[in-house]
Amino acid sequence: MQWDRRAFIKLAVGGVLGVHASPLMWKLMDDSTIWTQNWSWVPVPEDGAVAYANVVNPQTGTGAKARLVQGRVDGTRAIRVEGNPEHPLSKGGVVPQDASALQLLYNTDIRVTAPLLRNRANGRYSKLSWPEALDILAGNLAEVSKQGKPEAIMALGHDPESATGQLLLCLMAALGSPNLAFTPNAGETLALAGLAMMGQTDLGFDLANADYVISFGTPLLENFGAPVATRKAFASWRGFPKNKGFLGQVESRASITASQADMWLACRPGTEGALALAMCTIMIQEGLYDQAAVKASFGFKDEGDFKGFKSFLLKNYRREQVAQMAGVPLEKLVKLTLGFAKAKRAVAVCGPGNSSDPGRMYDFMAVLALNALKGNIGKPGGVLVQDALPLKSIGSTSLRGNVRPLVDPAQGLDSNNPDALAKAALAGKPYAVKTLLLVGGNFVYNGPQAGVMEELARKTPFVVAMTPYLDESASVADLVLPTTHWLEGWGDSTSPYGSPVSCYGLHRPLIKAVPQAKDAGEVLLQVASRLGGKIAAALPYKNMEEVLMARTQAMGDFEQLVEQSFWVQAKPAYGPVKFQTPTGRFEFFSMGLFKLLSGRAGNPQALERMVAMMGVSGGLEAAFLPHWETPAAADDLGTGMPLLLTAVPSLRTTWGGDAITPYMVKVLPDTMLADMDKLVVEMNPQTAHELHLYEGDLIRIDSVAGSLTAKLSLFAGAAPGVVYAPVGLGHSAFGFQVEGKGMNFNRAAKVTTDPMSGLPVWELTAVSVEKVQG
Amino acid sequence: MVIDLDKCTGCGACSVACMSENNIGVLHNETDKIRSITWMRVYQIDNGKSFPDTEVAFIPRPCMHCQGGKSGTPGQAFFQEGPMDEEAHPPCVSVCPATATDYDEETGIVSQIPTRCIGCRYCVAACPYHARYFNWYDVPWPKGSPRALSPFVSPRMRGVVEKCTFCYQRYQAARNKAMVSGGEVGEMDYQTACTEACPSGAITFGQLQNPEHKVHKLISSDYTFRLLEQLHTNPKVYYMSKREWVRKMADNYVTRHNKFAQAATQSGH
Repeated sequence: MQWDRRAFIKLAVGGVLGVHASPLMWKLMDDSTIWTQNWSWVPVPEDGAVAYANVVNPQTGTGAKARLVQGRVDGTRAIRVEGNPEHPLSKGGVVPQDASALQLLYNTDIRVTAPLLRNRANGRYSKLSWPEALDILAGNLAEVSKQGKPEAIMALGHDPESATGQLLLCLMAALGSPNLAFTPNAGETLALAGLAMMGQTDLGFDLANADYVISFGTPLLENFGAPVATRKAFASWRGFPKNKGFLGQVESRASITASQADMWLACRPGTEGALALAMCTIMIQEGLYDQAAVKASFGFKDEGDFKGFKSFLLKNYRREQVAQMAGVPLEKLVKLTLGFAKAKRAVAVCGPGNSSDPGRMYDFMAVLALNALKGNIGKPGGVLVQDALPLKSIGSTSLRGNVRPLVDPAQGLDSNNPDALAKAALAGKPYAVKTLLLVGGNFVYNGPQAGVMEELARKTPFVVAMTPYLDESASVADLVLPTTHWLEGWGDSTSPYGSPVSCYGLHRPLIKAVPQAKDAGEVLLQVASRLGGKIAAALPYKNMEEVLMARTQAMGDFEQLVEQSFWVQAKPAYGPVKFQTPTGRFEFFSMGLFKLLSGRAGNPQALERMVAMMGVSGGLEAAFLPHWETPAAADDLGTGMPLLLTAVPSLRTTWGGDAITPYMVKVLPDTMLADMDKLVVEMNPQTAHELHLYEGDLIRIDSVAGSLTAKLSLFAGAAPGVVYAPVGLGHSAFGFQVEGKGMNFNRAAKVTTDPMSGLPVWELTAVSVEKVQG
Repeated sequence: MVIDLDKCTGCGACSVACMSENNIGVLHNETDKIRSITWMRVYQIDNGKSFPDTEVAFIPRPCMHCQGGKSGTPGQAFFQEGPMDEEAHPPCVSVCPATATDYDEETGIVSQIPTRCIGCRYCVAACPYHARYFNWYDVPWPKGSPRALSPFVSPRMRGVVEKCTFCYQRYQAARNKAMVSGGEVGEMDYQTACTEACPSGAITFGQLQNPEHKVHKLISSDYTFRLLEQLHTNPKVYYMSKREWVRKMADNYVTRHNKFAQAATQSGH
């Protein structure tokens, strides 16, 4: 055959037709789509039988269910944390921290996978076995104790009410050191205010049954108690076409709560307590208070030498005067008060500040006084006293011997002040600390004054961090001990802040994630057993399961409790409240406080000096009555620091417990984090204009405690003269998705001590602002 | 789906629950919101007034699962009067050259099949709600983190588009269960992850035209509206708010009559 033009065309056309007719081309195309998409680096999750297990997140108090997949190769793994509809308070809802908890659990890059010993010279870690690590820790504690100075051991824990916290209390008591503090929280302030005025510590707000709620500066819809339960209550106030409940918010910024409120009373920051008192004045002047409740109380009218609450208010908290000082329109204040006074089931709420600080005790007392005037104590939709949780003691927490603590206990009512403790230890006065135990809580990040905590950790000769994560605390510790995440170990949690009923949550090992991790409580037990003698006898348990079994004896069958994972008081305690005050009545004038401090001081002159030393303004006349203290930051304003710095809380960030998760970083709005890693702060446009600052400018915010660099966002809803910064960002650990995003608010917040409660407060800090570029 | 904006506290639980349900990854830089993948995104708006009259609100935005209108039935779909009457379908479906996205008449869900997607991003451009996301990068899964992935949703690869599917895998599971037990898929058998998660119960999910479902009652309220109604996309996601400025900001200038005329043509969820 001759190879001519025709033959060539025949072959070409025939070839093309042939290829099209054969399945080859289609098969190759199909394969190529599969090959190009079958990428080994796209994970293929293993399938398996699905099971659910109840659990309570100790960080948020949410009743949840872990969804588990039982795979043949990968074993049982948790794939989701979902809400538990059977939990009476959270009823199936979750918050971002619950829903994304697995991201911290399953990230082996950020978990501590074995006990680690850090070489201080080069910062390198070397792995240890558990017996080696426990020997080192027990050896150090024994050595410090042997030198006759057990008080040189200092410990910081996360939650004193939890079993782990109780074990830490027992261990420190057995060691003989009083230098122990926990993450401070508003529950302690509420307990102290309750104790002073009602002789009761476990107070709660019956939000779900209230029809008129006023919140004094507390971020009810951002960060309050158990966030899911609070939202369930909030949702019950909303309805179509008419709302079933009224929400009033007293706050300086157009926050989520202020925006969702039916009335926002925009006040100057820090004046919320004064406004509560002005509302009391209005109710008294209008005669709109509960006459019977007030009649049964103590200290409303002048009695003997004591000035009563009524005359104190009428003299010092006149409505016009307070409205002007707080910068609110008087008509609005009166309207809010009259609505409160006339409502059927009204409640006034106090709580943690926007910066998650424990709040100021006198502000809390002012809010309790307002509730007492309304006569809602012990009534549906009012202030309730929770039934005590039926928990058994797991050991003695009373200290052996008479050891002087680092911080003078006479400085306030509560000695739980990690900040004051750290500052005293850092100064080495009255003595130095040799060993520092950090049991959860990530104090080097959370602070409250983070810089102080880091410095302390760097200066203390031996630092131990018990933590599930390679967090900031682990990065400065000499010995890092891996503890369990709440989905893989035993532990518990108690009633969240402000809950109307007492509740208890339990968690147990549901999955094996990090084989080397032990429950923090178990580590404490094993250390105690190695120390032997009296210390081992004080903590006679083998593991956390045994501890929890002993603790929950009175809650019925343990297995059933573990299965259910929660215990909640059956119904709220409505009815007359037993006031366990010296007078047996509700005390507007706190006789309990008066007696306690008089006892400490000895004589009236010394009492007056003592009150002045504590920093209570208004002298003896005011010290035992609810009154308003000028915030400490306001005094700093004149010193070249013209602005106030406060925090913006959010459920998309966290403070105190576990860190922010990658999903939470992902959903941060560009008013909190921008340009990959820049913190964004808010300022009122007028304030910015006066400082010649513009939207998007990079600014440096300086306080006496530290500084933040941030991008400026102008927000009309910000109060003039205030810089609002998100809290919970700026980690230097937790992997590439979290690390280095933003800056840590607690690096710039100045922590002071509340004069009466003795707890640390950091709601407001005086700052100066300077443009870096823009 | 009906979202009560007066109950929404902008906490982001819906968004995070969605991510954990649907195996969404986290990139190095999530502040670039154009490339950050959030099937359920919570937008923040404010009323534009200055202190102390400022107010903020949040708009959670899943895929709207637009139905569009059915052509050829004047009077049922109000935009028949307009010049666009022949293009009555979800904006994304009509532009997809690979049939990777389709509208299901039975469930009312706009599907998305990532393995069929060729990555042309026409649908991303066509969607007026920015509900569609392109995988610009491979997800850098941290070591160990794939253990938390759900086996019921395939993780996507680089180069494809993804979006909210109303948790279709949950519908499939509920349908299978109903098939075995011989019943029908009930209202509570099929709920999306965001609906379940919302701590204030702001999201309600069900069949819009089923009188026994809660959503059916809710959408007849005077306070309900949809986003960008004037585009006639006929979305399946309704919002409700008593605050007028919120309704106005959602570009809701459609009369009540027209809204219900169009909504009457809807089927499914």
